[in-house]
Amino acid sequence: MRLIARYAKELSNHFEIITVYEDETQKELVSKEDPVIKTLAKKYPAAIWFERKMHDDFGIIIEDAFDKRPLVHQERFPRGVYPLRKIFTQTQLEEAEYLPYKYEAINGDGVFQVAVGPIHAGIIEPGHFQFSQAGEDMLHLEVRHFYKNRAIEKMLEGKTLAEAKPIIERISGNESIAYQICYRDILLQSSKQELPVALKKYHAFLLELERIIHHLTDLGFIPNDAGFGAALAYGSKLAEEARRKMKALTGHRFGFGSIDFEGKAIDVDATKKYLEKLTEDVAFFEDWIMDVPSLWDRFDTTGVLSQQKAIKYNTVGVVARASGLSLDRRCQAFYFENGFELANEVNGDVGTRFKIRLKEVKNSIQLMLNFLEEEESYLELQTTTDGEYQAFVESSIGELFMAIDIKEGVIERFFVRDPSFMNWQAVHIMMKKDIIADFPLINKSCDLSYAGNDL
Amino acid sequence: MIKFWNKRIKEGISTENPEIDKELQLIRKEMKNLVSKKFAGSLAIRMVDSGSCNACEAECNALSNPYYDLERLGIYFVASPRHADVMLLSGVMTFNMTPHVLDAYKQIPEPKWVITLGGCPVMEAPFEQTFAIKAPAEEHLPITYHIPGCPPEPIEIIKGLLAFLKKI
Repeated sequence: MRLIARYAKELSNHFEIITVYEDETQKELVSKEDPVIKTLAKKYPAAIWFERKMHDDFGIIIEDAFDKRPLVHQERFPRGVYPLRKIFTQTQLEEAEYLPYKYEAINGDGVFQVAVGPIHAGIIEPGHFQFSQAGEDMLHLEVRHFYKNRAIEKMLEGKTLAEAKPIIERISGNESIAYQICYRDILLQSSKQELPVALKKYHAFLLELERIIHHLTDLGFIPNDAGFGAALAYGSKLAEEARRKMKALTGHRFGFGSIDFEGKAIDVDATKKYLEKLTEDVAFFEDWIMDVPSLWDRFDTTGVLSQQKAIKYNTVGVVARASGLSLDRRCQAFYFENGFELANEVNGDVGTRFKIRLKEVKNSIQLMLNFLEEEESYLELQTTTDGEYQAFVESSIGELFMAIDIKEGVIERFFVRDPSFMNWQAVHIMMKKDIIADFPLINKSCDLSYAGNDL
Repeated sequence: MIKFWNKRIKEGISTENPEIDKELQLIRKEMKNLVSKKFAGSLAIRMVDSGSCNACEAECNALSNPYYDLERLGIYFVASPRHADVMLLSGVMTFNMTPHVLDAYKQIPEPKWVITLGGCPVMEAPFEQTFAIKAPAEEHLPITYHIPGCPPEPIEIIKGLLAFLKKI
């Protein structure tokens, strides 16, 4: 059974611990006076972040956890403050006394620590990486995040469904369309409605366009991190053109606010022409990049995640598909009918993740051509009913899971698990045979979100 | 590789000089002149994300793509605050990030300027005040200029940088 998420919510006298597996959802009640649960991390190592987060958010104690350090709360966060409890309503917090965080570190003769971040050397999001090094060899890496924690979950509580939309589309900019589609599905479930096919195709088209933009950017950046800058010039040019296409279609370069229930007319001819040109450009790029031996010398066998570990750590998305897992939320009739093919490779290294992205770009172009519709359609959303809803979408990074409880028309509890939350926990496994100079390359090959992870 | 060279000979360099709109062309000239006058030819920017959604960062990365190619105007994104003239700040100044942002600011040698980027640092993005947000940035840092937008498009960032150069 694959672990998807584990989170808590507050009821009047209890905390409810919800554990979402691939085939079932388990619920457990613990009293508020004595909120103690047992860890799942012995069987599912990726459960540990969920559990540490649960402790920070609600003060739930994980009795037998091997790691009880705070996760979201950092050195200066006041102790004993559990901000996701309903009783907590402050919007200001004073910094508490600095309490050092105890990093996982290997000690020994000649072994030293390298601390990287939270502010990195390039234009990227903040996060911290702590390496234990024996010369150039990485012995261990601890990934430490949540610098970007904006308390999105708390922010959305008490919001109406319309008020929540602009916030949800800005949780992770690169995956905005995916977040919006996840939210759309929850709205549809709560109003018990079906989406007209033409509108579904239009949304799916935008989701694939978002995937293409993300993948094209990576196809440039991954070789760039191996010192092959020409690929970045080419990849970023294609990504810019795709972004301009997104703007032409939705009025916004990231598609913020584009997933609603009103269909928009797509200029089919112009879009077809664009996609045909893109197909040619990608074919040229592939031809060229596959034939640069010095680049593949860096890519192949670097940052290997074995299938066994990929399963053990419940990885999702591009990372999982590169390590031999057939995992994609698009595996459904609607997508297969429109030409979806699951990209699947087994080697699990940087090169494989690069190839998966290339394959997916090509397949996404095919899908987009099939999603093109002249027809415009719209849906009038009926009143939503209260309840607990869940939705899944395959974002450009991987499986996105969202759960919303609606009570009296407003959001009672909002939870989302970005695909990055799972994959970040597997990044340290990929380092074992490589040197520290390979780290940027390995990190970029996964291209995970910090904002979606930190919330 | 032979295919690459064949295409290159036939079509020229495809990533060089893609169509640039007239507006950008004019801005570029003015910008280059200002950078050379006020910053001796090179303006070094340290981009710091204090809790954005990553869209502002993506747009800053886009500034180096062949369409905009900001570096040829003498504007560089640098790795260390100690090499920087300007801090370009995005994000809502999260509780966890604020001390690090202030640290980075301290490391920038004088004279230094802060430009805020996008709706977040001025609390104009749809995010609401929570315990984890310490924006607006002006409560923590002296802000010289603000580039609005959610996120600002690359051309708007360029125009913003130009306006900043004129202002100082």
